[in-house]
Amino acid sequence: MSESVRIPFLSKDNSHMNLSFVPTEDRPKAAIEILGEMLKYKRSLKLYLDVCTHCGACAEQCHSYLGTKDPYNMPVARVDLVRRVYKKLFAPGHSIFRAWDGAKDIDQETIDLWYKYFYQCNQCRRCAVYCPKGIDTAEVTIAMRELLAHLGLVPKFHAGITKNMKLTGNNMGTPIPAILDGIEFLEEELKDETGLDIPIPVDKKGAEVLFNPSSSDLFTNTDGMMAVAKIFYKAGISWTLSSRITETANFGLFFHEPTLREHNRKLMEAGKELGVKRIVAGECGHGWRTWRMFTDTINGPLPFPVVHLFEEVLEYMKDGRIKFDKSKNPEIVTYHDPCNYSRGGNLIEQPREILRACVENFIEMTPTAQYSFCCGGGSGILMDEAMELRMALGQPKAESVRNTNAKILCAPCAICKAQLPTVMTYHKVDVTVKGLSDLMGRALIL
Amino acid sequence: MAELNINGQVIVLDEDGFLEDPDVWNEEIALALAKTEDVEELTEDHWKVINYLREYFAKFGVAPMVRKMCKDTGVDLKTIYVLFPSGPAKGACKIAGLLKPTGCV
Repeated sequence: MSESVRIPFLSKDNSHMNLSFVPTEDRPKAAIEILGEMLKYKRSLKLYLDVCTHCGACAEQCHSYLGTKDPYNMPVARVDLVRRVYKKLFAPGHSIFRAWDGAKDIDQETIDLWYKYFYQCNQCRRCAVYCPKGIDTAEVTIAMRELLAHLGLVPKFHAGITKNMKLTGNNMGTPIPAILDGIEFLEEELKDETGLDIPIPVDKKGAEVLFNPSSSDLFTNTDGMMAVAKIFYKAGISWTLSSRITETANFGLFFHEPTLREHNRKLMEAGKELGVKRIVAGECGHGWRTWRMFTDTINGPLPFPVVHLFEEVLEYMKDGRIKFDKSKNPEIVTYHDPCNYSRGGNLIEQPREILRACVENFIEMTPTAQYSFCCGGGSGILMDEAMELRMALGQPKAESVRNTNAKILCAPCAICKAQLPTVMTYHKVDVTVKGLSDLMGRALIL
Repeated sequence: MAELNINGQVIVLDEDGFLEDPDVWNEEIALALAKTEDVEELTEDHWKVINYLREYFAKFGVAPMVRKMCKDTGVDLKTIYVLFPSGPAKGACKIAGLLKPTGCV
């Protein structure tokens, strides 16, 4: 396959991740070596390749298969792209049985299929909820994307973001002067709107809370950032942003473990340096799961807890520090569970408790909670050149929302906020996407 | 890798249709880029936004916060989408010769 027609577009420079390009003809051999290494230290990878019984329970549960109708997007088939190579080259047992079992060598076509299909999996893990063996296809996708990265096959979109993460501590590559400029503007806006001097502190040593937003909260989703400032102000909690990391998201999770570790370490260091009592993570799905589930293991021990904004807000509500006026959100609101909140993020009931307190008319969609469909943008499938794919991936979600007749779709994750408006417009579902922070900000009694 | 040909000068675009080298931008190039965005002519309102973006980009190296851009130019977001159908990030920034904003946007 010609390199130039790959979707997503390929990155031409991965040096910031210490990744180089393996010449095409050497890729199969390199792939075997890398896969062999991974099988040694990624125990879950080997387990998932071994235990699948091909029962097919995952097939009809995957939004990627349902939306694209491409059989390779059934989780079982996606993993079989690797499994058949594993069986030929690495699995124990008599080779004659392995040949019957569909064992296959690695060739260029296999590598092409790997790139194509491991970037059609959103790493949403809905399949894992239904798999009787608990196979987490996302773990396979993550491993295979890392293998592809070592061959030099990384999407331009992902490479650009990890470069920005390294240089500025945020996905957008927003340098400190621009962050400060934006913050100053939002403080003026807050004063205009409320008449109050609501601060957005930056690098304030000794604050109780370090808040880590999504960088898009300082670009497009500024309603959310302003709402958070109002909440901390009303709750009387001293807080701060860190200029060196304004990104709960961690794109390293999707395809590159060293980036995952380094970005995570940056936040730990920022928290330690500022001497905060806890870190509060903002509206980012995969970033939340990473902070909550991985930090202690990879950069621990954690000297302070990492909590989610919703957990923090519920504490303020319990203590009577903040109250909401529901009538400020009169529209029918439905709630989209970001994949990494409801599957492995332990954040299902908390946003609902807040919604019931700050909107008049909250209605659940079907399916919901840990059974919810992905928005279709998960794992960074947000690039323009994959628009057709993205709209197909979002189709099951669009149907769920359509059936609620909601006016507002609450989606508290930056990737979902980037993906869902286009999905809803494309599938002709008349709904406005808002973060939960946005709704809180509207209803907060100041 | 696409190209624009403007009076014999070849301007290289990246796969997203943004200028490969933002430094080569000029008003003629802006017009050519506008056509790739189905914007047939650049009115005074277009230029208000474009000039604001270029000034901000020159100072900070990135595109401005959308809300700030709307406030400072006096052009609301609805109108931005009318002027630049692909929106502030993908449309206006492209025509103004900025780098394409990336991330969860």
